Amino acid sequence: MTPEVPSVLSELAGLLLRNADPDTPAGERANALTLCAMILAVAAEVWDDAADILVKENRSFWSLIQTGARLVADPALAADLAAFPAFAEDDYRLSALGAYNSRARGLIIRLHAALEDDVRDEADTVYRTIWALLVASTERRKLSMAPV
Amino acid sequence: MTDHPLAPRIAAYVAGKMPDATGVAVADVERISGGASRETYRFRLTWTEDGEARERRLILRRDPPASLIDTERRVEFAAYGAFHGSAVPAPQMLWLEEGSEALDHPFFIAEELVGFQAAPQTLFAGGYDALLPKVAERKWTILGEIAKADPAALGLTGVMDAPALDACWRRELDHWEAVFDKETLGKEGAEPQPIARAAIRWLRAHPPPPAQKLSVVHGDYRTGNFLYDEAGEIRGVLDWEMAHLGDPLEDLAWGFNPIWEFGRGLAGGLASQADAIAIWERASGLAVDPIALHWWMLFNCVKGQGIWVGSARAFIDGGNREPILVYAAWWLLNAQDRAILKVMGKL
Repeated sequence: MTPEVPSVLSELAGLLLRNADPDTPAGERANALTLCAMILAVAAEVWDDAADILVKENRSFWSLIQTGARLVADPALAADLAAFPAFAEDDYRLSALGAYNSRARGLIIRLHAALEDDVRDEADTVYRTIWALLVASTERRKLSMAPV
Repeated sequence: MTDHPLAPRIAAYVAGKMPDATGVAVADVERISGGASRETYRFRLTWTEDGEARERRLILRRDPPASLIDTERRVEFAAYGAFHGSAVPAPQMLWLEEGSEALDHPFFIAEELVGFQAAPQTLFAGGYDALLPKVAERKWTILGEIAKADPAALGLTGVMDAPALDACWRRELDHWEAVFDKETLGKEGAEPQPIARAAIRWLRAHPPPPAQKLSVVHGDYRTGNFLYDEAGEIRGVLDWEMAHLGDPLEDLAWGFNPIWEFGRGLAGGLASQADAIAIWERASGLAVDPIALHWWMLFNCVKGQGIWVGSARAFIDGGNREPILVYAAWWLLNAQDRAILKVMGKL
């Protein structure tokens, strides 16, 4: 989740305290509390699955990046892909899992672009796998009240 | 209840703008939620002029410390002013202040259009069901009027860049790709956007035909950004902060972004795309090229994601800790990715 949940909850705590002030205009208080409620509802929905989603994605990304390192023609990209550290699974804090996920996504963007016009079968397979993984990622992260 | 701290400062500013007024006072200052690009307040202004006590409800739109959209308030002010009193309903603009002395940040003050609704949730709660076809007719008719208008005749070519017809798409895509670069590259806590980046590559590889005319583009014309009344009439078009000159199809396509369907499977939650296009074509006198429209729909999905990414960034960087920024990012980042996939035929 971006922004990360702890910083958001901390901000909401401050907002709730400010709205406990009896001088807060009623309309402003109603708006602030409604927004707080909506954000907390999202946090509640994503909380249990958050680490599970990131661990699964990080494993998949790592595997694809390894395969991509053998495939791409650009030596600089190949080196960056090859140098990307394995998903160590030694730190399950959401912040650590999310940081690895973001670094992997950055490389996936470059790999995806590099394979876009590559007609080799294996390159095409990896290219399609990236699309499938990205679609699956949005399925996992879909909120119950999401508009799409 | 104590007075809002802004009240005496607003009163002092307005008094300086109304030399014939005495006893200028401001009361009932209240922040309106949802304004993530500007802080928006409503207030009641009272004064005496020609021996007569007077009162007016006004709106203050003030720049926040950091915004999800970086825009020029002068452009927004000019866009509102250009359409006020025309077939495109817009509130009257009163004063633009670009300095920070009066209220700490630049701002403008406008009339408040009182007694109308803006919330899509209210519109779609059931009570307006019989009026939705009328709202749809008015929504896309007004957008057609915006598309039809001559930017030069409105005086807007003096405050907005006027790109060549074949450069409209590139100008917008360059702008929003730069937003992604600025907000996601090398930034702590930034989440790279592989789906939006793939869409940007596709957009560059498949440019649309030149715009059929240079139009005013509202930039955020969607259900939720206009005021409607109990008869289904649209009484004010709001949120012109992303207004610019460009391809009129850009505005039409923004309203077709799947996230603005509000889960109803209809454009803007109101009508089929085909019906919306027919209304718009009638009002604007312009034609919709399906290939160009598709390009602009995908572009607008990318633009939307740029806004939500910027929203998250403004919060993370601490320049603006408004909860609306969090809600926009949490609720819409993944949904916008899915909208991109849907428009690209991947979902």
